[in-house]
Amino acid sequence: MDSRSIQVVRSGVLAPIKKWGTKWSLWPVHLVTACCGAELAHAFASGYDGERIGALNYGIARQTNLIIVEGAITRKMARVLRITWEQMPEPRFVIVMGACGLKGGLFWNGYHLVKPSDVVPVEYFIPGCPPTPEGLLRGIRSLQEKIWEGKNRNSIDFNKIELARKEIERRIPTPPKIIARNPFIKVDVPKDVDWAFGNRLVNELKEGLGNLVERITITGKNRICIRVNPKNLQRVAVKLKDKFDHVKSVNVIDVPYDNTFIVEYVVSSYSNRELMPVLVTIATKISKKNPKLPSLHSYWVSADYLEREMQDLFGVTFEGNPWGNRKFLLAPDTPDYPLRKDFKLEEEVYARDEATEGSKNEEQKQEQGGDKE
Amino acid sequence: MREANEMKELSIDVPVEPPTELKPLFIPIPPEYVEDAYKKDEFLVLVGPQHPGSGHMRIIVRVDGDVIVEAIPDPGYVHRSMEKLAENRLYIQNIPLFERPAIMDNANFNLGYIRAIEEALDIEVPERAKYLRTIMAELCRIGTHLYDAAILAVFIGHTTGFMYPFAVRELICECLVKMTGARFTSSFIIPGGIRRDVDNGILNFVKKATFEIERRLKNFEKIFIKNPATIARLKDVGVLTKQEAIKYGVVGPFLRASGVEYDVRKVESYEAYDELDWEIVVADEGDGYSRFLVRVNEISQSLDIIRQAIGRIPEGDVISQDLFENVNANTKNPKDIRGAFYDVFTNLKLPLGETTTLTEAARGLLLYTIVSDGESNVPYRVRIVSPGWLYLRGFMESLKGERLADLQAIYGSFGYFPPEADR
Repeated sequence: MDSRSIQVVRSGVLAPIKKWGTKWSLWPVHLVTACCGAELAHAFASGYDGERIGALNYGIARQTNLIIVEGAITRKMARVLRITWEQMPEPRFVIVMGACGLKGGLFWNGYHLVKPSDVVPVEYFIPGCPPTPEGLLRGIRSLQEKIWEGKNRNSIDFNKIELARKEIERRIPTPPKIIARNPFIKVDVPKDVDWAFGNRLVNELKEGLGNLVERITITGKNRICIRVNPKNLQRVAVKLKDKFDHVKSVNVIDVPYDNTFIVEYVVSSYSNRELMPVLVTIATKISKKNPKLPSLHSYWVSADYLEREMQDLFGVTFEGNPWGNRKFLLAPDTPDYPLRKDFKLEEEVYARDEATEGSKNEEQKQEQGGDKE
Repeated sequence: MREANEMKELSIDVPVEPPTELKPLFIPIPPEYVEDAYKKDEFLVLVGPQHPGSGHMRIIVRVDGDVIVEAIPDPGYVHRSMEKLAENRLYIQNIPLFERPAIMDNANFNLGYIRAIEEALDIEVPERAKYLRTIMAELCRIGTHLYDAAILAVFIGHTTGFMYPFAVRELICECLVKMTGARFTSSFIIPGGIRRDVDNGILNFVKKATFEIERRLKNFEKIFIKNPATIARLKDVGVLTKQEAIKYGVVGPFLRASGVEYDVRKVESYEAYDELDWEIVVADEGDGYSRFLVRVNEISQSLDIIRQAIGRIPEGDVISQDLFENVNANTKNPKDIRGAFYDVFTNLKLPLGETTTLTEAARGLLLYTIVSDGESNVPYRVRIVSPGWLYLRGFMESLKGERLADLQAIYGSFGYFPPEADR
């Protein structure tokens, strides 16, 4: 169509028909970005039946005109949101549901989060964590009204009350957090438990592993911790892999206290009924300057993805892992190694006083800084 | 499976250039891999991140004809940095944070974290609270299985199969609203018990609801579960043998569908599970349909557990007395934490060391490790390994050798929920 006929559709005699059509056919694209999607599904299922107001979820971006952003948008998802939005034909609309999409919600100071309003233009925000299906449908109704009338209108007018406040001196509360600055960390604290099988198992392990290990501790019922030198890690894995057939967790703990990483493999067994509840933690300490460790991927395939994740978050290199040095879980533009202790997040401010905000904030910052030191 | 390959192939000599826009599209595979695939007359298909199912992740599928040779996952689209945030918040502030990975399964996700705190502090939970926690955990389990059944139906294009479980889920939400006040994110379980007592009238409602759910599930069975189309899509698709399932560390109902009798509720029993009569649901086939059936049977098992728990629930406190040691006597109420919440929980400190708990969440094993330095009232490090993250490897392996059209059915049969896997 040439530009003149587009003008006719937009503002000519056909305009009301076009508006009416758009109003009653707001089709959201399937872009379930986070957990609010559960309530979105409820809103379009038989309980609330969003289809009766003309909104029906559809799979393909090119044939839809509405994006409902459900909650948190991560750095990785932001790009997808933009591409999906760019694919949609005009007129297109964006509704954001959930507190995370509004100002970050629970995850406001997370390292992997962006605000959807920075990525695409947003018509309506629906607050809540998660908002109810009624809330979401009301958001769609508001958008319909906006399309029809061409402007925003409040659907509820609240009574206004004049608030008068007595001048009292406000004291900014001190944050309740107590964070030790450079604490000592020990992962194998022995615990006295009544566990006969465990004592037997520990003796068995001590015999089998000999002087490959530094110490074997019972850290609780069904929990055993083996402390290993990184040089012997592979040899210990070879001896344990027949008894324990899978890895449940790979964990790294950053210890600035002595400039090391503690790397833990939690292994367990599915084939031996007696060993099923037992978790054996293989803990090893590596230097932070050269955080390298042989990968145990060849002994336990199940450790593969967990190792890749730890590599992303801590920068510990697992030599021999097939994925190499690429990022797996995080977006390519995320700051490096966010879970190390020297990567600080933004701190919350507990109270704000608009009049003296600047000076008080500085004071508070100094106070907080003082607390830490 | 590969009859197509045995047919005589026509070779057409059209030069195909491997795509070069890997970097701007952030596809996390090296260009050599793409070239290698194109040289061998194979193709790379990007499934997602925007795809017509629930939750978003990208799977890079390498296909030979339409048979999947390799599947490379690209997760992290819903990675909300929970482990880092937890290091910066009070122990008690982390409760709402840790139910966000899977909000339909909130009770189980809370339970794992809370039990780790209780184990480190040696808090004994009152019996009534244990039973109420069990009831909530099982309600969430049913809700999650129904959610996954609905999403499976969307994946294989069965709209009624989507509508029906969600109508049943409304009942679950109603039960949870009556018990806790929230449809999804209740944060109702606290260290030492639960926030407040649930009266017997509400428990009676929950019991009636279980019968109604059972009645409606019979209809659902006719409509979707025993539907020949469903069986045709899922049967013998995405098979994981017992050895494979163990090797790749698959968890939960998906492990049990491959014939491994492993359920944390039995293996390392917690709350009231060892006082109730129930059995582990197992299947031997390890295909998509048995993964679905195991979860369907678990729903009826859970309904039974709820009824038993409501029948046997003892009277008494719901908050442990140990917590009230340093609290003003006026606010002490072992049936309701309101009024004493901040006094009790603000300065919660865990002793030096590491505590690990296992929980059977709806989609499988959930592991929490809390490391404490013994001085701070925030955790030093929290490690969450969610079920989705653990069975992702098994999911990818089960795709190999299947047709591209079956990818959706296998995806649905695993009930893969990216917010849960990415945390």
